[in-house]
Amino acid sequence: MTRAHHFRLVTLLGLAACLPGRCAMAQASGDWVAYRDAYRAMVVFEKYGGPKSLLQQQLQVRPSMPTSSAGGVELVVSGKTTQGHFPLDATLRTVFPLARAPYDDNAVLRLSQPLGAFAVRPQVTLTLRPDNLYDSEELRHGCEQALAFARELALLGARRCSGVRFVFSKDAPAAPVVVRGGAPAQLASGLAGAFAGDADATFLVVTFRFGGAGRLQLGTATAPLAITPLFD
Amino acid sequence: MSKLNVAALTLVLACTGAQAQTPASNPMPDGSEDMYAGLGVVSKPRYAGADVRRPRLLPVLQGQWSNGLFVSGLTAGLHLSHRSWLEYGPLLALDPGRDQGGDRGTFAGIESVRLNNLAGRTPALQQANDSAPQANRLDGVPSIARRLTGGAFLNLYVAPGVRLTSNVLYGAGNAHNGATLATGAQVMALAPAPHHTVTLEGGMVLANRQYNQAFFGIDSGQSGEQGNPLYAAHGGWRDVHAGANWHWTLAPSWLLVSRLDATRLLGAARASPLAARPTGVSVSTALAFRF
Repeated sequence: MTRAHHFRLVTLLGLAACLPGRCAMAQASGDWVAYRDAYRAMVVFEKYGGPKSLLQQQLQVRPSMPTSSAGGVELVVSGKTTQGHFPLDATLRTVFPLARAPYDDNAVLRLSQPLGAFAVRPQVTLTLRPDNLYDSEELRHGCEQALAFARELALLGARRCSGVRFVFSKDAPAAPVVVRGGAPAQLASGLAGAFAGDADATFLVVTFRFGGAGRLQLGTATAPLAITPLFD
Repeated sequence: MSKLNVAALTLVLACTGAQAQTPASNPMPDGSEDMYAGLGVVSKPRYAGADVRRPRLLPVLQGQWSNGLFVSGLTAGLHLSHRSWLEYGPLLALDPGRDQGGDRGTFAGIESVRLNNLAGRTPALQQANDSAPQANRLDGVPSIARRLTGGAFLNLYVAPGVRLTSNVLYGAGNAHNGATLATGAQVMALAPAPHHTVTLEGGMVLANRQYNQAFFGIDSGQSGEQGNPLYAAHGGWRDVHAGANWHWTLAPSWLLVSRLDATRLLGAARASPLAARPTGVSVSTALAFRF
């Protein structure tokens, strides 16, 4: 991360603190996570020097207790000189502000609504396309980039990309992903957790496995919340 | 070299390289640091192999700098790797030595820095022991001076949260020629509850003949008032150990660090006349401030 990037993020945090209606949010109570610990987990991807053009990383909040309604929740960064608010999406993820000032402040992360104790972890997913059209080879390359990053973290582990998972909200259209190469076909969907290890099966998930059927086009009826790599 | 000298040395190194690119294995903002300091207590044997334990104050000191430098207890090193699954670099450690009272005072780090903590008595036994103190097998045994030892460390992450560790250090003992090779495995950051993390570890330590002779041998003229027999220690495995570190994050800047460690002496160390009790347990807890 460049110093210029640091300053932009610090400025962003500072501005967020002064926006009308925002300062009160800094009073968010409840449990907390040390900003430094989150930073240390998230900066690894930022520093990763391998190919990652098809990947994105976000911070995922993981409440200890299942939560049915987390709409409108924000991640609140609170430090002595820095304040910031970062909306969580339906999968409780947000772009994490990697900045020097809250690190030096030993700032804390809280939630704008009390959801009980929570942990945070990085989530590396494939980038989304604005036209909702995905090429199977590009998905494979994205998965392989994610696999290479996973292998950077540990010497042993996953060895092969087997596919990707499209994650939708459970009220998504009935056929959220359609294969358009050759004979059009729907991919089966089912309720599952958004990410590996998530306990509550509250998302509609479509699994696409790489095979020998050649290059395929996949279209999604609506923008997925996430596309996650699937390793063997 | 005194502890203060070691601290001064590490501070100088930190200042000269503070603007260097952060190594991947030390993920923090460029030019920043992460420091802990605190105080606690440790109950441990008087020395490696002693059958009498004693409580002591335990200062806690740990620092990490973005250039890869770290200080943990009496150990300082430098991360040189830019691969996340690999950690290696030079390592300095202050061996506290030993006098007739046992191991000299020491420091602990937040992350596990394993010391020669050997014990063998439960608190109840210790109470009885205090009322009828046993003979000190170190009587007449020459003191071992503090020594700055140098070497290197090499760690591999074989799976997320599972790390194989090793380090080699040379220079312990009055003759500056004692060497150890420590190997181990850690399962890191188990989280049984919010704000609680547990790290489990186990390993073995290999020592050269000079090390074992310095710490476990009895030379002629050193048999002491207790009549320790002459004993020539050979090199080999010094001990096998297992331990657990428990971190309880009380507040964003406050951490309670506790450690339980069990060790069994092996080979020449176990057979030494100084090793009254080959298996032991040590326990420590300390409150640390993060800044």
